[in-house]
Amino acid sequence: MATYVYDGSFEGLLSCIFEAYRAKTVPETIVEEQHHQFTLLEDVQHIPADEGLAARVLTGIDARTDGRAATIVYQLFLSELPKVEMLIFNFIAAVIQRNHASILENFANEFILKASQIERMMHREVHRMHAFVRFQKAKEGIFYAAIEPDFNVLPLIGDHFERRYADQRWVIFDTKRHYGIYYDLTETQFVTLDSPIFNLSSGDLNPEIVDDAELIYQALWKNYFHSVNIAERKNTKLHIRHVPKRYWKYLIEKKRSIK
Amino acid sequence: MGRKNKCLVYLPDQQSNDMVMHTVFLELQTMSKVLEKLTILSDAAKYDASCSSSGSKRANTFKGLGNSDGMGICHSYTEDGRCVSLLKILFTNHCIYDCAYCVSRRTNDVKRAAFTVEEVVDLTINFYRRNYIEGLFLSSGIFKNADYTMERLVRVAKTLRTVHNFNGYIHLKAIPGASPELLHEAGLYADRLSVNIEIPSEASLQKVAPEKNYSDIITPMNYLSGEKDRYVDDKLHFKSTPQFLPAGQSTQLIVGASPESDTQILRLADGLYKTQKLKRVYYSGYVPIQTDNRVPLISAPPLLRENRIYQADWLLRFYKFSVDEILDEKNPNLELDIDPKLSYALRNPEKFPVDINRADYEMILRVPGIGVKSAKKIVSSRIHQWLHSEHLQKIGVVLKRARYFISCPGLDVPRKDYQMADIKRIILSGEALQAPPQLSLFG
Repeated sequence: MATYVYDGSFEGLLSCIFEAYRAKTVPETIVEEQHHQFTLLEDVQHIPADEGLAARVLTGIDARTDGRAATIVYQLFLSELPKVEMLIFNFIAAVIQRNHASILENFANEFILKASQIERMMHREVHRMHAFVRFQKAKEGIFYAAIEPDFNVLPLIGDHFERRYADQRWVIFDTKRHYGIYYDLTETQFVTLDSPIFNLSSGDLNPEIVDDAELIYQALWKNYFHSVNIAERKNTKLHIRHVPKRYWKYLIEKKRSIK
Repeated sequence: MGRKNKCLVYLPDQQSNDMVMHTVFLELQTMSKVLEKLTILSDAAKYDASCSSSGSKRANTFKGLGNSDGMGICHSYTEDGRCVSLLKILFTNHCIYDCAYCVSRRTNDVKRAAFTVEEVVDLTINFYRRNYIEGLFLSSGIFKNADYTMERLVRVAKTLRTVHNFNGYIHLKAIPGASPELLHEAGLYADRLSVNIEIPSEASLQKVAPEKNYSDIITPMNYLSGEKDRYVDDKLHFKSTPQFLPAGQSTQLIVGASPESDTQILRLADGLYKTQKLKRVYYSGYVPIQTDNRVPLISAPPLLRENRIYQADWLLRFYKFSVDEILDEKNPNLELDIDPKLSYALRNPEKFPVDINRADYEMILRVPGIGVKSAKKIVSSRIHQWLHSEHLQKIGVVLKRARYFISCPGLDVPRKDYQMADIKRIILSGEALQAPPQLSLFG
């Protein structure tokens, strides 16, 4: 039994799994380099990320599941949950062992069930980001949004916004993980931002770059949001269940005041 | 189809425009005017329960703006817990009718306002670009006559689609009495049209809205469902046939403004689903708007009753129930203390317990505590292995409810010892310890 250490990348993790299979062993644990604490008694395998090996793992599991398993594994990885690496290993092992797409519907298998629960959780977070992104228009015509999702869903949401806002340039920035995606009317790329674009606590666009009409539309939207409420039906619990408080920070309609 | 990136129609009040970034900057003066209109006309529209933006597939063509991918998105929720998915406004709250249940009725002393076509278009586009909304829900009071009003609604939709290449969701009201030509045009631009029935029987409608009648309401519904059938049929032969009302029609019934029983309401809804092929019937617990002696004086909207009717509606649409199974002559109204599915199970003890490992999908669906998703998971998992109670729990079955109605290995409660009355008492007391039932409209 060995501890496998990878560089933190998706490819790195898959390379570990490939190497464990090659060595015909089940890892004791798989950990990211920066979280690994060295102890003398361990058998430690440092596995470099290898895109070729990673691709072989993904092709292998997709071939056994009508092309469905690789997407699930990627979502598990992006969940960033503690010890998700071993779940991924066990999930892949179950897929390879059963060698039939129907394994993904066997919810009596603990790894398949756990994976489907995390997949649902990720799906919910992706859906929330589709809903809660609030663009603010900057003078140069780019629409900016700040988000702070529970999980690392930015790589999963670009397609949706690209399809929807094909005729406007936009940036969605994850303020917790410090990177963003930028659509330039042709394609979407990962970006980092140097200059202070957002106020990190309010998510407001820097006043120097904000478009003149932006605050007007924000005021109209807030006004709309409050006038469609039916006071006689007030149901705060349900409201909070649908819009948990941790997301309020960047939601225009939930912010207190606009000058 | 003319929905390309050129304006093919003459729009008298549409100025020449910059096609790429569309909007005229609103001067501060006009801004405060729009703000006031928006307040009045969204406030008046909020009693329409419909929020859905789903069921339509509209791709973003020619690098335009927006799409509908079949699954609606609730971008926010109001403090009463309802989904905010569309910019839901009235074009105007001026109205020639005097319906007792309606806040915009002629004799009600409220502030009146009317948007212009450009204002609605500008708000829609700018809210949409900021990802506030999925699209527009445009209703209206009737000014002058049906066609005059309908023509304006159609013009908004047409401008959005043809001038702004907007592919987001558009829901328009079909105004009873509008000409077939206008309804037809509306169907080409809108994703969904709705005619609200509001009062669930013609006799009651006569009482509270003497200027309206069922035939005015049903005529446009019939016309639209006929047209939709025709387009769907054409599409089989000609690929170039445009979409016509891809998200179909819906309607709304007000609960508690008139004396109809739940059976009458559900039969009406069931008939609308079957004959008019409506996609949704919405139920709106009557919110006592102002005193008018034609409608009952109540202190609060009947939210629990509304919720039970929605649950029954769900049983009709997704659980393969018929109205007769949910309600009968002895029980014309839904029980308020338990949901209609539990009520069904308690009234039909001979159908239970259901064998989890052998029963048909239809029967598993009927078990209280098992929803559509769990039922599907049970059916797909039991191919691989014999299911035990702990599997069910992990799959998402609410065992403390389902256990009295199923048989499967691992259940420690011998069900036969219980009478149905006991089960109801146990379930109710068990649940009384928890939070009161959430009134969810199921999204």
